[in-house]
Amino acid sequence: MTLKTKDVYIVSALRTPVGKAPRGALRNTRPDDLLALVLKSVVNSVPNLDANEIGDVIVGCAMPEAEQGMNIARISVLLAGLPHSLPGITVNRFCSSGLQAISYAADKIRLGEADVMIAAGTESMSLIPMMGHKVVMNPKVFESNENLGIAFGMGITAEKVASRWNVSRDAQDAFALESHRRAAAAWQAGEFNSEIVPVEVEESVLNPESMTIKTTKTNFLRDEGPRADSTLEALAKLKPVFSAQGSVTAGNSSQMSDGAAAVLLMSEDALKRYNARPMARFVSYAIAGVPPDIMGIGPKEAIPRALKMAGLNQNQLDWIELNEAFAAQSLAVMNDLKLDPSKVNPLGGAIALGHPLGATGAIRMATLAHGLQRRKLKYGMITMCVGTGMGAAGIFESL
Amino acid sequence: MEQTFLFKKVAVLGAGVMGAQIAAHLANANVEVVLFDLPAKDGDKNGTVKKALASLQKLEPTPFSVKGKVNDIEAANYETDLSKLTACSLIIEAISERMDWKADLYAKVSPHISSEAIFATNTSGLSLKALSEKLPADLRNRFCGVHFFNPPRYMSLVEIIPGPATHSTVMDNLEAFLTTVLGKSVVRAKDTPNFIANRIGVFSMLATLHHAGKFNLGFDEVDALTGPSIGRAKSATYRTADVVGLDTFGHVVKTMSDTLPDDPWSRIFVLPDWMKALIEKGAHGQKTGAGVYKKAGKEILVFDAAKGEYRPSAGTVAAEVESILKLKNPSEKMQKLRECNHPQAQFLWAVFRDLFHYCAVQAESICHNLRDLDFAVRWGFGWSAGPFETWQAAGWQQIAKWIQDDIAAGKTLAAARLPDWATDGKRTSVHSQEGSFSPAQNKIVPRPQSALYSRQLYPELLLGETPVYGKTLWENEGVRLWTTGDGIGILSFKSKMHAIGQEVLDGVIKAVGYAENHLKGLVVWQTEPPFSAGANLAQVSGLLAAKNYSAAEAMVKTFQDASQSIKYSMVPTVAAVSGLALGGGCEFVMHSSRAVVALETYMGLVEAGVGLIPAGGGCKELAIRAAQSARGGNIFHFVKMAFETIAMAQVSRSGEHARELGLLRPSDMVVFNPNELLHIAKQQAISMSESGYRPPLRPKDIQVTGKGGIATLKMIIVNMLEGKFISEHDAAIAERTATVLCGGHVEGGTTVHEEWLLELERSLFVELLKTEKTQARIDYMLKNGKPLRN
Repeated sequence: MTLKTKDVYIVSALRTPVGKAPRGALRNTRPDDLLALVLKSVVNSVPNLDANEIGDVIVGCAMPEAEQGMNIARISVLLAGLPHSLPGITVNRFCSSGLQAISYAADKIRLGEADVMIAAGTESMSLIPMMGHKVVMNPKVFESNENLGIAFGMGITAEKVASRWNVSRDAQDAFALESHRRAAAAWQAGEFNSEIVPVEVEESVLNPESMTIKTTKTNFLRDEGPRADSTLEALAKLKPVFSAQGSVTAGNSSQMSDGAAAVLLMSEDALKRYNARPMARFVSYAIAGVPPDIMGIGPKEAIPRALKMAGLNQNQLDWIELNEAFAAQSLAVMNDLKLDPSKVNPLGGAIALGHPLGATGAIRMATLAHGLQRRKLKYGMITMCVGTGMGAAGIFESL
Repeated sequence: MEQTFLFKKVAVLGAGVMGAQIAAHLANANVEVVLFDLPAKDGDKNGTVKKALASLQKLEPTPFSVKGKVNDIEAANYETDLSKLTACSLIIEAISERMDWKADLYAKVSPHISSEAIFATNTSGLSLKALSEKLPADLRNRFCGVHFFNPPRYMSLVEIIPGPATHSTVMDNLEAFLTTVLGKSVVRAKDTPNFIANRIGVFSMLATLHHAGKFNLGFDEVDALTGPSIGRAKSATYRTADVVGLDTFGHVVKTMSDTLPDDPWSRIFVLPDWMKALIEKGAHGQKTGAGVYKKAGKEILVFDAAKGEYRPSAGTVAAEVESILKLKNPSEKMQKLRECNHPQAQFLWAVFRDLFHYCAVQAESICHNLRDLDFAVRWGFGWSAGPFETWQAAGWQQIAKWIQDDIAAGKTLAAARLPDWATDGKRTSVHSQEGSFSPAQNKIVPRPQSALYSRQLYPELLLGETPVYGKTLWENEGVRLWTTGDGIGILSFKSKMHAIGQEVLDGVIKAVGYAENHLKGLVVWQTEPPFSAGANLAQVSGLLAAKNYSAAEAMVKTFQDASQSIKYSMVPTVAAVSGLALGGGCEFVMHSSRAVVALETYMGLVEAGVGLIPAGGGCKELAIRAAQSARGGNIFHFVKMAFETIAMAQVSRSGEHARELGLLRPSDMVVFNPNELLHIAKQQAISMSESGYRPPLRPKDIQVTGKGGIATLKMIIVNMLEGKFISEHDAAIAERTATVLCGGHVEGGTTVHEEWLLELERSLFVELLKTEKTQARIDYMLKNGKPLRN
């Protein structure tokens, strides 16, 4: 017996602007509040949508503890004022959590278990540090060299990829500069406008002189990361952070960020029922493992698998959102797979736009879905490397 | 009863390099301080001061005891904040040395100064009389000069100068505040141009410049001759001018020539033409990147006045002159310099002779006594001996005769005759146990006997003064236990750099035993800094050479026993610390009932530098403190800080910083004047004894993070190693440090007793001791005095 799966459509994909961590505009904004905002926004994007019909809310988050602990998915559903009948689950695959959430949500529809699903991602790197508040390593990690990579910081893995794949410091800096240039130009041209949900940032500030607490409200509208004035000279001056004689700097690595995004997915039946217009069709998703000490090369394994499942060849891809965890690993992947640089991150990547870990997959879904439509292109992909040695890739067809 | 003057709040006017640093030092001393400057033209009115504070944070050596101190300085401006002056008990004006600017400012601020407050100017040379006239009459009796030296945190000298109407209690109150609260060494000067230190120091520089030209010596050569080789600061002459700023030096010289037209030496109060040319070109010294010296890549270039260009710096002392300078006998040294025909020797004799000549002639007008003059020059310019000490050491009569001969021969820079007191045929000294000579009073004046100075049990001494260190109670080769008769024992080490070897360890254990039976308390204090440079490595190295590891382990055990005896002594033990307290020295401090440390205390568990971990109880104490600090919360957070302190061999940059590093406890005290250290330490010991002192109980339930903690620290270590920030051996040392701090490979949350942590420390220490790389590090340190990275 063969299982006949159903098609899955992206109906809405919206994101917050991305703030810089730990001192940016969203430094005091809770990740559950950001999530509630985008959940509400995608639900509201389809008039008359019966929220009770949503099968589940699957949320990616890479450090699910403290402000984003306690199953943030369910908490944010309730905070968003959505019906309590709507469940929620938090999933974690580090940097691909948001994309993983989309894949899981799609699967529920593909299997016929739900007609409407929400996938999302949220992360506040301002409030929850990389690795979380309490790190306790397993001593067994150090018993074999193979597992030592688990203990490596991401920067060290990037250095390893840079030296093994011969990615020079100059090439990394040039790539970083181009990311900023593209991102700044895209904002200038208004290319992100349709995917953005502004965040009303509310902060309580003590005025020590008048002894009063003032609540300020500001509208956060734009990504904070892109620097139109970045230069190669400035990038070249930065010292390597992770290795004394290395090439990976704060300038050619992704930025630490805060942000959230949500994606509304529907079956064909649901589209008809709500008279909803699909933006894109979910095509395929693949995940793969690589040695943890060169985790950055992960997409090299995942991309061919996703293409194979989709029955496509690489040249058919019009737009590739390759998460720029580090310029070093991005370039290594691009060079090995011979990806066309003009198709990779046409609006800039994480070096400029920021990388709020578990939210990034969902955030770039918004960018890709809107971008493909705006530019009338067909196939797009989202791909990223994942800590402890994995790669993820998802392919979508614009409609 | 006389009312105490409370220095509640202090204002500093002028956020220039001196004003801002003075404010920083006040903040270091927990004095509420408000720093004023002109209002900024745009934006925040306090922008000027805030900018000054920002650059203060980048200054090296740091003016702050700990980083956060910058936040304790309140920024203010003359436009909107003058009312803030009213709450200040002391106002220190530190703006540019311009009489007209100062006069304008005085007019602006004086209406806001409270009727009790002291108003002081940090002028380095302007006349107090003239400045006083710019003030309203009712402020003049509370007005005086307070002359700090740059950098004010580190230079101990402060000259205070009364104006014509200054009330004596103002001077007394200010002196007490500067001495005890700010830890400064105060010299009372007279209202004469450039006061004492700069008058003599700048004269000495001008005489040096003059003779350098005459003997045709290169500037680098002069600096090689006039630095440490004659007991003066490393920056010697020309580099000092670069550090001060050639332009600033020019202003000081101009003040001298303007205000001292009748000085017999006034003809040399001018800048050489080449220096004027450098200033004109904007080469003002260090602050502009070029002056007498300039850096070109890694090379240091020196200005060649004859050619008018820079050349590589290579100044050396001629071998025959060097052998003279190495002579131990000062009298013989001076004689040989005078007799030697080498231009370098002739130059040095001329420099000394003219300095002595000038000091003798001017002393009566510029200082109250020669002690003040010698100390002012020592403290203000970093000389190891004052001019009169050097003269006295070389033989008073002989030098006096040579100066007179040279005056007669027309060799001196001025023809003025030496004063009678200097040529008195019976004179052999100006400093002695009885006191120092005062030319103005024509008699010996003793040291001040006031309550303020009675707190300084062993102040810095001059040549001719010998200290009396109480009565010996017990001693061995390594230590001396003594008392001044108040029931408190003082334990001082005899070893070089107060290093801790077997004889010191035995001595400590015995001394604690003696104190328990016969004394109220024990203070560990050294008669001069450092507190201790750490374990005696030569002894350890000897045992290693003989492969006698069991003796080495026994020595570590004794080290731990000594630390534990300090900790569990039945009478209070107080560590009185100034200067370096490294390795084992730091561990003794950590085990004392209380530490009383000077502001300038440089503490650290630096064993990693010689390939070891702290094993005299240092790791153990930090593990205990981590568990205590966590109060049931996340212990690992504190363990990690302790790990960083040890693994990175961090040395505190002040006493307060040692507390931030976890090496000092909240109950330990930081005192600002090192001369008061022993007095305060004794008071602490007495007070603890009077409070029915009991030692702490031995902890049996120290919570540790165990295997998980070790693994998590290992994660940090492997990343450092992968990033090539540390070597394999650094990693091996760090891993052992982690193991002790986490209580060994037990389950997280296990509770352990103190003995287990000591056992871990000891066994891992011996493990490292047996490695080749650790042995290489120890040898290297013994040979080169700095750590080997292998």
